[in-house]
Amino acid sequence: MKKKLLSVLLGLVMTTGMLTGCGGSGSQDSKAEDGKTVLKMWTIATESDSFHNAYVKAIEDYETAHPDVKIEMESFENQSYKTKLKSAVAANELPDIFYTWGGGFSKSFVESGKVLALDDYYGDYKAELPQQALNNATYDGKLYGTTYTTPVSMMFYNKAMFEEQGLKAPETWDELKAVCQKFIDAGITPIGMSVKDTWVLAMTHDALTLKSAGAEKTAAALTKDGQSYNDADFLASAEKLQELIDMGAFTDGATGLSNDEAAATFTGGKSAMFITGSWLGGQIFNDAENAENYDVVPVPVCSDNAKATDFMGGAIDTLMVNADTADQDAAATAAFEIARSVSKYAYLDGAGIAAWAKDYDDSGVNVLTKKIADYTADATSFTIWFDTLMDSEDAGEYLALLQELYSGNIDPQGFAEGMDAQLSK
Amino acid sequence: MDRVRRNKGAIVLFMLPATLLFLTIIIIPIFMSGYYSLLDWDGITKGTFVGLQNYIELFTSKSAGFTKTLGNAILLAVLSVFIQLPISLVLALVLAKGIKRERFFVSAFFVPVLISTVVIGQLWTKIYNPEYGIINVVLQNLGLESWCRTWLGDQNTALFAVFVPILWQYVGYHMLLLYAGIKSVDPVLREAAKIDGATEWETSWHVVIPMIKPVIRMCVIFAVVGSLKAFDLIYVLTNGGPAHASEVPSTLMVNMIFGRGRYGFGSAIAIMIIFLCFFFAIMIKKFFKVEEE
Repeated sequence: MKKKLLSVLLGLVMTTGMLTGCGGSGSQDSKAEDGKTVLKMWTIATESDSFHNAYVKAIEDYETAHPDVKIEMESFENQSYKTKLKSAVAANELPDIFYTWGGGFSKSFVESGKVLALDDYYGDYKAELPQQALNNATYDGKLYGTTYTTPVSMMFYNKAMFEEQGLKAPETWDELKAVCQKFIDAGITPIGMSVKDTWVLAMTHDALTLKSAGAEKTAAALTKDGQSYNDADFLASAEKLQELIDMGAFTDGATGLSNDEAAATFTGGKSAMFITGSWLGGQIFNDAENAENYDVVPVPVCSDNAKATDFMGGAIDTLMVNADTADQDAAATAAFEIARSVSKYAYLDGAGIAAWAKDYDDSGVNVLTKKIADYTADATSFTIWFDTLMDSEDAGEYLALLQELYSGNIDPQGFAEGMDAQLSK
Repeated sequence: MDRVRRNKGAIVLFMLPATLLFLTIIIIPIFMSGYYSLLDWDGITKGTFVGLQNYIELFTSKSAGFTKTLGNAILLAVLSVFIQLPISLVLALVLAKGIKRERFFVSAFFVPVLISTVVIGQLWTKIYNPEYGIINVVLQNLGLESWCRTWLGDQNTALFAVFVPILWQYVGYHMLLLYAGIKSVDPVLREAAKIDGATEWETSWHVVIPMIKPVIRMCVIFAVVGSLKAFDLIYVLTNGGPAHASEVPSTLMVNMIFGRGRYGFGSAIAIMIIFLCFFFAIMIKKFFKVEEE
């Protein structure tokens, strides 16, 4: 009998152990023992991330200014974080403040009512953070997030290689083509490219499209706002990409190269140009042997619809606040003030272009990042990258179609029609 | 002890933890996936019930390309059974015969199974690199420049370029299973065959292989089911690209769920993979039974 009882007990212990092992952790118990308000924050600023240092400093600053608040930051690897965040939203396990991507990515979070509207708090920071930077955190006219950096697509080029060929940085499509031809004739790869990481190809195509169709038309087509994608301007940009592919302007075997490998051909002096986000500026200073050889310009203009000051990119890194947080005021102010400090420190580190007003000495920032900051200060428009602006399903199809176009399975007309079919689904 | 075994309560109690685990991490998720596959759902907001729409799209939509991925997976299964397994079998037969440094070779062939797939993926990415990869370098040195390819980036070669490391990696695994099977065959039978004048080849073919049929059956099932589920190396090497050339059902599933936020459609692919794995496992068992009769 005793043995039986023992076995029952053991069994119970085992099963309860299993069941309690996977309990959830919400954000409800936010008061620590010493009376401090504890705010949990999730970011993707892992230790190897270029924003890590900025976050650590920003949190220090905030805790010094608000001694009664303690910020607990947890950071995750970018790709897995996307999954983690989505499941946290579904399971109601969001922390008080969380990093996310603006635009289409967070749309469903906001629609599910789990994100706090920040309009009431934004008033205090309006002078320092321009409304324009918050476009991607605004849903249905209400603000749901704050940001700290405005990355943009730029064309980086190797000044030394250009001078060797007696060339100058192209400002229009015709000049770009002429420059590419000159490099090809000299046996040099004009533009570094990765198609395996399709977003690199997308960066180039996005920029060409923006510079062909203009900001408003592009945004209207991608957000299904009464503009068909099967249109002469969009076809023109796909044709331009095709022209570059056909003339051999991109790295040989780009379909098999990752972004890191492609960027290495550029920083290693094996290709002359690279169209990508402003973050490459900081990377060049880390990776390239002769960083002073490099320079940066806006992507060449392809038609009268766009200006040099129209940029692909914009603030997409967003901090949002959980609607269920215990102390809404504390969490909302923390989100804004941490974003402000991250903006400053990340810019000083050369990790990103500051989204907030600069009221500090920035003479130590690397030349390329500073130059981009100067360009974007005069920006006439920001259009967020296609794959972020579109719904994730459309974005997936976009990347797949781009690969097909690059591999020659479809022609520009087929590409435009494919995009139109997906967007009018 | 017997009293405990007769006690129904004790049986239930001791089965409970394992049953719970099995139910919660295998059976229930399968049924949940089955339900999700009937929804049009992005994983976060409320899904709408669409019936068998996802399954219809699986087999009719050209842009999703599921039928093509199925073809790729079946091709991999065929290659596994008819190329990988024979190699494993020959290796196992040779090693089990008792050659010099037998243990060393067994471990050496098994090493690829132990190395992390991501590491193997990185190694093969370097081997295939169009610029400095060993394959292209060797071809160039042999004066065969025209044979050089962007192995992982060319639509015509990507699929086979991905299959080679997959087949290579698991040769050792099947070899070990078969080797263990052969070792358990009574040596008396072999000796008897030899005394009767059978050659090495005849002994293997008429005595050893029939004796290890159950092991071979296991290997075939593992190879086929493993091919249908193949994911990791493909994900690392090409992620299904270029332009879906090396896509298999599992990479398509991950792409759909996490790339495009189509949980319903992805779940339908998952259910198809599960169904096919069961289907082929049962078919193979049936086939071997017929053989035995």
